[in-house]
Amino acid sequence: MDTSQYLDIFLDESKEHLQNLSDQIMDLEQNPENMDTINEIFRAAHSLKGMAGTMGYKRMQTLTHDMENVFSEVRNGTFKVLPGMIDILFKSLDALEEYVNNIQQTTEEGTNDNQDLIDALNSILKNNGEVIIGQSATPTKAVEAAPTVKDESANTKREKWQDIKITDTERMLIDKAYSEGLKVFGVTVYVEEACVLKAARAFLVFKALEKLGEIIVSSPTAQDIEDEKFDLTFSLILISGNTTEEIIEAVKSVSEIEEAFCAEYTLAKSEKPTEPEKTVESKPVEESKPAATTVSKTVSAPAQTSAATIKPTAPAAVTPSSATSSSSSKPATKPVVNRTVRVDIEKLDNLMNLVSELIIAKNSLISATAADDNKGDNGSVNEQIEYLESVTTNLHESVMKVRMVPIESVVAKFPRMIRDLSKKLNKKMELYMTGEDTELDRTVVDEIGDPLMHMLRNSADHGLEPNDVRVANGKPEVGSIFLDAYQDGNNVVIEVRDDGGGINVEAVRNKAIERGTVTPEQAETMTEKEIIDLLFLPSFSTAKKVSDVSGRGVGLDVVKSKIESLSGEVEVKNRFGEGSSWIIRLPLTLAIIQALMVVIGDEKYAIALGSIQTIEDVLPEDIKLVQAKEVIHIRGTVIPIIRMDKVLDMPPREGDKNKNLTVIIVKKGEKQAGLVVDELIGQQEVVIKSMGKYIKVPKMISGATILGNGEVALILDTNALI
Amino acid sequence: MDEVKIMDEKKRNVSLNRPVEHDTTQFIVTQLGGEQYGIDIKYISNIIRMSKITRVPKVPNYIKGVINVRGVVIPTISLRLKMGLPEDQVTKKTRIIILTLEQHESIGVLVDEVKEVVTLDEEHIERMGYEKDEKERFLSGVGKSDGKLISLLDITSVLAEVVDV
Repeated sequence: MDTSQYLDIFLDESKEHLQNLSDQIMDLEQNPENMDTINEIFRAAHSLKGMAGTMGYKRMQTLTHDMENVFSEVRNGTFKVLPGMIDILFKSLDALEEYVNNIQQTTEEGTNDNQDLIDALNSILKNNGEVIIGQSATPTKAVEAAPTVKDESANTKREKWQDIKITDTERMLIDKAYSEGLKVFGVTVYVEEACVLKAARAFLVFKALEKLGEIIVSSPTAQDIEDEKFDLTFSLILISGNTTEEIIEAVKSVSEIEEAFCAEYTLAKSEKPTEPEKTVESKPVEESKPAATTVSKTVSAPAQTSAATIKPTAPAAVTPSSATSSSSSKPATKPVVNRTVRVDIEKLDNLMNLVSELIIAKNSLISATAADDNKGDNGSVNEQIEYLESVTTNLHESVMKVRMVPIESVVAKFPRMIRDLSKKLNKKMELYMTGEDTELDRTVVDEIGDPLMHMLRNSADHGLEPNDVRVANGKPEVGSIFLDAYQDGNNVVIEVRDDGGGINVEAVRNKAIERGTVTPEQAETMTEKEIIDLLFLPSFSTAKKVSDVSGRGVGLDVVKSKIESLSGEVEVKNRFGEGSSWIIRLPLTLAIIQALMVVIGDEKYAIALGSIQTIEDVLPEDIKLVQAKEVIHIRGTVIPIIRMDKVLDMPPREGDKNKNLTVIIVKKGEKQAGLVVDELIGQQEVVIKSMGKYIKVPKMISGATILGNGEVALILDTNALI
Repeated sequence: MDEVKIMDEKKRNVSLNRPVEHDTTQFIVTQLGGEQYGIDIKYISNIIRMSKITRVPKVPNYIKGVINVRGVVIPTISLRLKMGLPEDQVTKKTRIIILTLEQHESIGVLVDEVKEVVTLDEEHIERMGYEKDEKERFLSGVGKSDGKLISLLDITSVLAEVVDV
């Protein structure tokens, strides 16, 4: 079968499943008893296995299969989740991720069998959840029953009906059947993988079996089967006078049934210590057996009706009884899935370009009518243009929103990473994340993962002190790392913060002198900020030890250049002894912004509206000099003034020196500055165009845009000016 | 905006019913100062009339700024300043030649005048030696056509320096 056309879907879905698995296993580590989590893991592993199998990735399939087996046993309560097991599961996840990466790059899964992991997983199965030498395992019944479970594992895997847990009512029905000379059978049906209407097939199987006898319980429940909430198998217990062969034949008479297993179901069997979980339950039955037969008349009446109604139209009444019996194996309520369509990012880019063109065309129209304005009445044209404007603005916003994705997809892997780092570095730490739903342009989100990961590693490795040092310094033993994302005007801010030791500025200073990066004289005069900026230079690492976590000297400079390539910037706030925070500021979008058009000298420039706070009319005498720098005093704050004509190398305009100045107050985080411009034109939507690589534009220019009259205007990056 | 469309060499020959010759290169001959310079036609995507160039602050003086060519912002350089000649005087004949070296990356060069298209075969091109002076750095050779000498510009080396700066 040619599966290449499904490769994209396979890759996307595999990644989702892997992420889901990773999240759930993290969760499992915290709450090893949470059945919902275990079920979710089982489901994800199972889907992954199915997908890998369909695509013909055998190694991946084998590995997931073994993982699934482990979870299957956990789900059945055979053994409990132990810390050592989590580690192996995580390693398996890493191996799976490697397969997926290989597939993405070469469409082949690679040749690594990961036999050690498979062996490790199998040994978990054999040793009932204990990894190598189980130290912490409480002697559960499962452990006692270890050898038998192992022997029967081949059987139990196929004949899943043995896992069905039965309630007292059902047990009574079984006893009654025996007393009436009927036999009780366990049946497990495997539906073909390619089967489309599993529920319908299952329904037909139920129908066929009801002709032969009475179905007393099924796993999953009839309701779940009807809702297709089952994988490729379902099991049931049937009371019938027929033989196993006849039952199997009846099941197989339904098409698209791959296999059916049937054997006599004996309660006696469950009394053996081989089935530990049933031992407990069956005992009271033994004791109540004589009573059961006498009461059976009264109890069996409602029980029988409910059993008889196990078919797809089963009323809710039947579900509670069987639901309790199979609650452990029944999947939790399906997670709410957004209705989505996967779209190639290129198509979106194309759409965005078209919207850009439309906006430029609209701007041309506006400037054309503005030029004609004095020639006569064209009110209706203006009206239509205003309408066009609102349509294009809405269109633009919609397209933008389509391109926006929450940063969740990137940050979701970090808790796992911090967990691993915590083990590797032998430091206790906790990651707290907020604002995972903050949205950014898809292109930015794709690129931001690595820099963030690096900064988190830095915080974990260099930022947080070892646990004993923390305790000695009167801090909580467990270090905290924070990842906060939020929107700030036209920017999205992502802050990586830790409560560790902060940056030792003196150490950096000495290191810089030692390395010859700066001379001792230079170092003397450098401010703390300048020293910290040295960290962003290539090959500058102050970690005393080089670890594989961080400290190879490639890093912060790469982080910085990456973020700058996304038109963002990094800022460091440092409190020595209390921790440091690394603040990444990224533009919300790279394509179209609302801007204020201004004239400086005789040139037009655009300033992003998002960064503008106010526009002030300032008297020349209100400008004061502080440390030879011009400032103005507005509403209680002192704001430095930047003469834009000087910054842009323009001759100052001729004219009255005493004329009022137009000052645009812009902000960047908490900092402010006042930009002196000559004229204001007005607000306009501008399409940001790249200026090509043949020109190295200064930092204060973030791009160019095309005006209505076809001229190019430059966009000022106020962040670079402050 | 008036544009002189340059046809692909082969297409042109085919359309003129000429046999396609091998080992020949077509050059656009431009005037810069008193001399004629040839630019390999394969790099040229467009020739446009002078349009408003938006100055970009804090860049080398030979980068004149950016222009809008059909919705794309393209940086424009002065070949004159790049080659150490006096500043351009914009006249009716001034043209901007849009060069495209790589996919999607274009640059405009200002020239005094665009004269003609010549086809030179290898015999009529004299390759330059290694010793080049300041002005000759950007030349790949000298072509002879109808008794005139045309300096052939090595566009890649001109632009390589632009990128470096």
